[in-house]
Amino acid sequence: MKKTLKIYRLLLVQNIKTLMEYRIDFLTGALSFIIDQAVGIGFIFIIFSQIPQLAGFTLEQIVFIYGFSLIPKGLDHMFTDNLWSVGYFIVQRGDFDKYLTRPIDPLFHIIAEKFQIDAAGELIMGIALVCLSAGAANVVFTPLSVLLFITAIIFASLIYTAIKIGTAALAFWIKVSGQITQVFYMTNEFAKYPTTIYSNFIRTVITYIVPFAFTGYYPCLYFLTGENPLFNIGGVVAVATVLFLIALFIWKRGLKAYESAGS
Amino acid sequence: MIHVENLRKEFKKTIKEPGLKGSVKGLFHPKSEMIAAVDDISFHVPKGEILGFIGPNGAGKSTVIKMLTGILTPTSGSCTINGKNPTADRKKYVKEIGVVFGQRTQLWWDLPLRETYGVLKEIYEVSDKDFKKKMAFLNEVLELDDFIGSPVRTLSLGQRMRADIAASLLHSPKVLFLDEPTIGLDVVVKNNIRNAIMEINRTEKTTVILTTHDISDIELLCSRIVMVDKGKKVYDGSLDALKSKYGIMRELDFVPEEGDGFSADEFCKGVSLKGEDFKLENQNGKYKVRFNSEKMAVKDMLTYMLSKTDAKDITIRDADIEEIIRRLYKEGVDDIG
Repeated sequence: MKKTLKIYRLLLVQNIKTLMEYRIDFLTGALSFIIDQAVGIGFIFIIFSQIPQLAGFTLEQIVFIYGFSLIPKGLDHMFTDNLWSVGYFIVQRGDFDKYLTRPIDPLFHIIAEKFQIDAAGELIMGIALVCLSAGAANVVFTPLSVLLFITAIIFASLIYTAIKIGTAALAFWIKVSGQITQVFYMTNEFAKYPTTIYSNFIRTVITYIVPFAFTGYYPCLYFLTGENPLFNIGGVVAVATVLFLIALFIWKRGLKAYESAGS
Repeated sequence: MIHVENLRKEFKKTIKEPGLKGSVKGLFHPKSEMIAAVDDISFHVPKGEILGFIGPNGAGKSTVIKMLTGILTPTSGSCTINGKNPTADRKKYVKEIGVVFGQRTQLWWDLPLRETYGVLKEIYEVSDKDFKKKMAFLNEVLELDDFIGSPVRTLSLGQRMRADIAASLLHSPKVLFLDEPTIGLDVVVKNNIRNAIMEINRTEKTTVILTTHDISDIELLCSRIVMVDKGKKVYDGSLDALKSKYGIMRELDFVPEEGDGFSADEFCKGVSLKGEDFKLENQNGKYKVRFNSEKMAVKDMLTYMLSKTDAKDITIRDADIEEIIRRLYKEGVDDIG
């Protein structure tokens, strides 16, 4: 464990040094993100200029959910971005070979290799929106709720990571699985709003199949109303754990199916 | 040290019919078959040996290396190295081996070489003292000093290959796997790399398995070769044995004097050697006779030839190792080993 942390730190430091070499890339990434989020927030304000409430939620409550959902997304984006490369080209080109010839866990190695600074935008935006809206949305922070908040954030991030690991690992069989990850990942957009605004079908999908509702709406429901912590917070922990175990299982099986590429 | 038993690896290959129509058809009714890239290969390598693993392109060399290094899981059969199974004990196992793939780097693209070695030092848990000693040694044989501060992406092929080989030796592996370590390199760098391999083998008794298409690599480095073709082992033994088996073949080259009425057909008729033992080729007026010198003495062949033509430019040669290997690639081996 100590060795793992040391290697992680080393790779992280090297990574940040590299970032400085690609300044234009960094600035473009940060800028496009800010535009993306500004559009998202602007959209919420437009809706609320027409209606006073959305599915029984006020503007501030909706902004709280929106902001909250950005935090786990940003954390996952920041620390595990390299998983995208697995599905898009690392496996296809046979570059996965090198991860298998090093005495550290290949999954850890892949993840540690990239630190995505762009995600700072999501995190800052998410935290800012949560802080600004919490008061007006009647969220009361007690030691217990802060603890639950942190727990929910960590496990919600794991949901993202698990979905990325599980779908990226499909590349071991089908060579390129980036688009599959993309399709699953896109459904997280639904998590930014109350699930009650959707049809039963979508609600079922984002609760039980691609459970992104647990990365935003459900935990927020607890912080906004204090209702049903067992489902709203416990659900996040349970869903994330199960999903993560399934993802690791697929990954482990995938390693055995890996076929490399001719050289 | 290395025990490979009945190793086999199958890949699923989709059969595509030609053209766009075929591609679309394949999308709905994919057809596939299993191809054995490696078919029942067994061999053993004692500690400290340098084994040349050779064969034509697509023979299955890299697939074997990838199974031995734990990258691919064998379909059946087993390989045991230092008592370990590469895929089952991967983390422990890869600590004892070094791997270099000539075709692609194992290093981090954007990191300066010095930093790369620093990270590898931690990954392989090399002590400061060993690291210093090793770096000094590698610097000396591979001349890394000139480019150790540059990011890997800016290195030339020769520099990158030296960098990769140094990286694979940093943790003093017991076995070193080199997949085409000299491919595309100039003579100076090739020598550099060969020296490093010989040094490490001599001083640390490192077992080396290398694949190559460069005959000089084999002649200079390998005490033994294993040859594979179409996934099967076709030869396993010393280079000398291969040479003495095929070394009895001689080549006589000559150019007939113009207008002396030399006829290839007539020349062949007068020789009693059959099949493998005799062959005449015409290369733009230059004739090459390959013959078995045990069945027909060189002197007799020469006399016979001179009786048929007033030849000029006469040369007599031993079949060299390159020729032997080319023949083996082309014709396969059935009676040696």
